[in-house]
Amino acid sequence: MTILLGQSLVNAILLSGMLALVALGFSIVWGVLKIINLAHGAFIMLGAYVTFTLFNLYHVDPFLTIPISMLALFLLGYLIQAYVINWVIRAPLLVTFLLTFGLDIILINLALFVWKGDVRAVGPAYAGTGLTLFRDPLTSQGIQVPYVRLAAFVISLVLAGLLYLFMSYTKLGRAIQATGQDKDAAQLTGVRVAPTYALTFAIGAALAGAAGSLISVMQPFDPNMGGGYRLRAFIIVVLGGLGSIPGVILGSVLFALVDVLVGISPLAPLKDGVAFAMLVLVLIVRPTGIAGKAFY
Amino acid sequence: MSNPKPETQNQKSKMPVTRWDMLLGPRRNIVYVVVCAVALAALLFLPRMSLSGFVLTSLTTALLLAVRAQAWNFIGGYTGYAAFGNVAFYGLGAYGTAILMTKLHWPFLPAMLIGGVVATVYAVIVGLPVLRMRGQYFAIATLGVAEATRELVSSPQLSKLTAGPTGINLPFFRPEGLSGAAAAAVGSRYFYYVAVGLLVFVVLVTWLLTRSKLGYSLVAIREDEDAAKMLGINTTWAKVAAFAMSAFFTGLVGGHYAYWRTFILPEEVFNVRYTLEGILSAVLGGPGTILGPVVGGAIYDAVSTFLTFSKPFGIDLGQFHVTILGLFIVMVIIFLPRGVADFFGRHKFSLGMFLENVRQNRV
Repeated sequence: MTILLGQSLVNAILLSGMLALVALGFSIVWGVLKIINLAHGAFIMLGAYVTFTLFNLYHVDPFLTIPISMLALFLLGYLIQAYVINWVIRAPLLVTFLLTFGLDIILINLALFVWKGDVRAVGPAYAGTGLTLFRDPLTSQGIQVPYVRLAAFVISLVLAGLLYLFMSYTKLGRAIQATGQDKDAAQLTGVRVAPTYALTFAIGAALAGAAGSLISVMQPFDPNMGGGYRLRAFIIVVLGGLGSIPGVILGSVLFALVDVLVGISPLAPLKDGVAFAMLVLVLIVRPTGIAGKAFY
Repeated sequence: MSNPKPETQNQKSKMPVTRWDMLLGPRRNIVYVVVCAVALAALLFLPRMSLSGFVLTSLTTALLLAVRAQAWNFIGGYTGYAAFGNVAFYGLGAYGTAILMTKLHWPFLPAMLIGGVVATVYAVIVGLPVLRMRGQYFAIATLGVAEATRELVSSPQLSKLTAGPTGINLPFFRPEGLSGAAAAAVGSRYFYYVAVGLLVFVVLVTWLLTRSKLGYSLVAIREDEDAAKMLGINTTWAKVAAFAMSAFFTGLVGGHYAYWRTFILPEEVFNVRYTLEGILSAVLGGPGTILGPVVGGAIYDAVSTFLTFSKPFGIDLGQFHVTILGLFIVMVIIFLPRGVADFFGRHKFSLGMFLENVRQNRV
């Protein structure tokens, strides 16, 4: 029993890193551009397919494809924001919602056309290997820590840290924060809003791409994989508090814990329902999330 | 400026509001009624023109889309709460009808009605916490409701009732004595007329809503919820009522679908596509109007059917048709965010209207 709990704890921690990466991109876009990007799941999916293509066609190690998929999604995100979303950004919420939903449909169907609907996976040679902690000398059972998941966790933390440093200590990062806090004041200080929005969206997309690349090695996927991650990203951002990077990380740890524990309980088939109930609870009890209204 | 007579609905409608109003003159209400009556008559006589089953089926689908759009209009258009989870009610209506017809052998129409009631009750239960949230939180919360409902319905715990992920088979529509092709012909007409009935029902209810106190409360909530509260409107109950009405009609459509297709699966009846189509049709045609969603539904269905079945310029669109539909959505959102209602707006129509829309909304 303790092994099961211990394993669940480890699984949750490893999962939380990856979920944090998924949620960070979503959180930045929401916090700065004030739009909920319903195409975020599609970006994650595209990242996964970039890795899949590079691995299968050119035999590039999946972890080495991460910069490539990040770059590809950065460019895609920039173009989408600059030439599509920026045109409706001041419209009411429903309009931007429908727009990103439409983009989501377009991207998923293009992916279906290019890669077909079959379930894919990326399987490098080292996929099943890992550490075994707390090995019981008698039964040789222990807590499994797959290398792939461990690497994904570390990479997610590194990217989150880099993002935090970028946002807090570089001029561009501070410009992005300023635009999120008060667009007009930022303009008065010389920040150009349109390119800043485009940059922010691009960063969000790049993070989603990285997350997708990591997910591609950890589990099978198809063009429709994005929807579940999108919903989870939303829940994590609400849990952790909009506009706070540490909040997102905290939120993802909490969410991962609940997710894994529900997974081993009798409520397992109702996972999404439990996640949703958690969301409703947070929105009713503490709408600003754990980390509160600290702004980006 | 004091006006001794209290402002009544009639007095308000005497002011010409749109260009069409000005064009049609003071008798325009009669014109609108006549147009609606003619359209309704056309719909009712259509099946007698011995159309192919395919055309009738397409028309029925279009009618059902219009009903769903109209249903969304209650919560999204009039109340201003953009609900993205209406497919939950669709699915519940479908499952309610299916269970009543298969386990308790009820006839179709009562089963469909109770399916709608099930969806309504669910809406009231779920709506009370969810309607406390506003704007984007409400939208995603309803999206979550839809996901959670789908999971609930296909979960093993409830599978004794709902047959879980394997779906439910409903009895076939069997008119007395007929079978095979003849039954199918009568069947498509039957379902068509039920769809027409549903459309008339929902439009009528919408029209009544606009003349009722609840209708004004909803518009007040949409315009400024806090002010509405200060005026003494019980916003919670008004919102729940709108949500419940929306759920009822969407549930009815779900029930219709269940018996029409005779087989329902959780992934199918809880597919988010149904919500999206409804919202798009309503937004396209003009949310917050009586006939806007119907018009929007007609346009959207026409475009969708055209893309699916035709071959413009000899190019087979094949699997691109959904992508193009997505592009169509994006274009509409960018250039026509207020929907077709823009064409009926105050100002002279010109291509500049599209550019004006973009200029208003761009960064």
